[in-house]
Amino acid sequence: MIKTLKKYRYPYLFICPFFILFLVFQLIPTVWTFRISFVDWNGLKKMKPVGLANYRLMMNDYMFKDSIRNTAIYWLVSVVLIMVFSVMIATMLNSRLLRARQFFKTATFLPYVCASVAMGLIFGMLFEENAGLVNGIITALGGTRIPWLTSSRYARIPVEVLFVWRLTPWFTQIVLSGLLNIPEEYYEAATVDGASTVQRFFRITLPLLSNILFFCFVTITVDAWKLFNESYVLAGPGSSNTSLFQLMYTTAFKTFKLGYGSALGCVLIVILLLISFVQFAVRRRIGEV
Amino acid sequence: MKKRQKTVSFFLHFLMIFIVALCLFPVLWMCVISIKTVGESITGFNALKVITPTLANYRRLWELIPVWQNAFNSIFTTLIGTITTLFFCALAGFAFAKYHFPGRNALFYFVIATMMVSAEAGAIPLFVIMRRVGMIDSLWSLIVPRMATAVGIFYLRQYMLAVPDEIIDAARIDGCSEFGIFWRVVVPIVQPALASWASLTLIARWNDFFWPILFLRANAKHTLMVSVAQLPVSDGLSTPWQVVLAGTTLVIVPSILIYLILQLAQKSGLTEGSVKG
Repeated sequence: MIKTLKKYRYPYLFICPFFILFLVFQLIPTVWTFRISFVDWNGLKKMKPVGLANYRLMMNDYMFKDSIRNTAIYWLVSVVLIMVFSVMIATMLNSRLLRARQFFKTATFLPYVCASVAMGLIFGMLFEENAGLVNGIITALGGTRIPWLTSSRYARIPVEVLFVWRLTPWFTQIVLSGLLNIPEEYYEAATVDGASTVQRFFRITLPLLSNILFFCFVTITVDAWKLFNESYVLAGPGSSNTSLFQLMYTTAFKTFKLGYGSALGCVLIVILLLISFVQFAVRRRIGEV
Repeated sequence: MKKRQKTVSFFLHFLMIFIVALCLFPVLWMCVISIKTVGESITGFNALKVITPTLANYRRLWELIPVWQNAFNSIFTTLIGTITTLFFCALAGFAFAKYHFPGRNALFYFVIATMMVSAEAGAIPLFVIMRRVGMIDSLWSLIVPRMATAVGIFYLRQYMLAVPDEIIDAARIDGCSEFGIFWRVVVPIVQPALASWASLTLIARWNDFFWPILFLRANAKHTLMVSVAQLPVSDGLSTPWQVVLAGTTLVIVPSILIYLILQLAQKSGLTEGSVKG
């Protein structure tokens, strides 16, 4: 044991920073979150054990229900929209007919570079009820003004638009890298066999992209459940567009209920764990791991 | 056939330009409004008419928030954060790619598995830990926890795998130390990968918002991003949009410029590898 450690001391030394940091800043906090979720604590006084009270509170908390519903909607809508848009844009970027490809590639990546918080402020202005451009366009087309950020009915839409606007470029790049890996011969062979463009897309491109698309699906899922910046900056009335993670933050650091906040954190952790188990199971079935 | 291809090509470019417009419009919109005087109309399309361009909004910004102090905080955490994370991720990636130590595969799968539950979920105890070690309101709180990230190790390992073992063995025979092999042989070879990872990290750190609002509570320690996010309420309730958008311009334009510069640098071969044929 000691001999191996000595023989391989360099590689172990090289990887140990990660494991130390992981232990201190991720593993211990995660485990500790579960512990704090069973106490009542404002961060300063002594912790008071309350058993499952925080979880019982959660069952009757409409803000919690709202945040779960909002985050689930953000998740489902963004998975669909981001995947459709990124496959579409990547296919177009990969087309032989496209000129100035490098320009289009760079230009369509720029939203991802822009800070979500700053863009949140801008979208807040674009979606402003009276002065915003979005309502300007709607009224110019003969519609009526929509109270995007002041009604609980619409408040999720600007958040969703911003999230999709900013993340699509990233996934476009990933899908594009997948498209570039598909050998040109496949398409040539299919064309010789008389396959149409649509057929080639559904019979060759999509099946060969399935791994990449699955990766995108998992990443978008995790990102959506962690959504914070967008809904924080574009806050609607009450908890109309609050995300789960945002509710955890405000509960713990604005109202100083660290115990209840940790219980919300546990829900988040369990959801993220579930996602990873599902992804692991799916990968195993495909036989990739 | 030829004609059909022309139509397809036309629609393709048309659609592409439309998408680019959607991507760039909010940013250009922001830049335009940030140089409008506060009195001018910003309603609907009127916003795009600039009658008397002015820098007054930027001057107002400097009065509202300590821009230089905040910019220093942002630049410091971004730069040091990127350099340290690049170093430690590359080091671990190198170990995982080029050494056959016992438990390598298990440990590597473990690293990948840690990506699934993100550190954000444990934010509450993390805050408590940071308070206990005295890192609240210290810029290092943004740097230290992310000095080695799983995704960085994963990404850089992929490139390290392509480094030929012969080069490493040759260096070892020539008496190079193990760290010397990493620093003087492997790092120069994987420079393109380091550069592209660096550009992504730089932008992500600059745009960081959650960790700064969590760890940096004092105004003087805020990063630019946090100060800008608080602009709408910092002047009572009435910060004009022009000033707010001057603030967002100030944080967005640098990241776009950094990205474009790094793109060009990668293109012109400044970072080409050193493996022959």
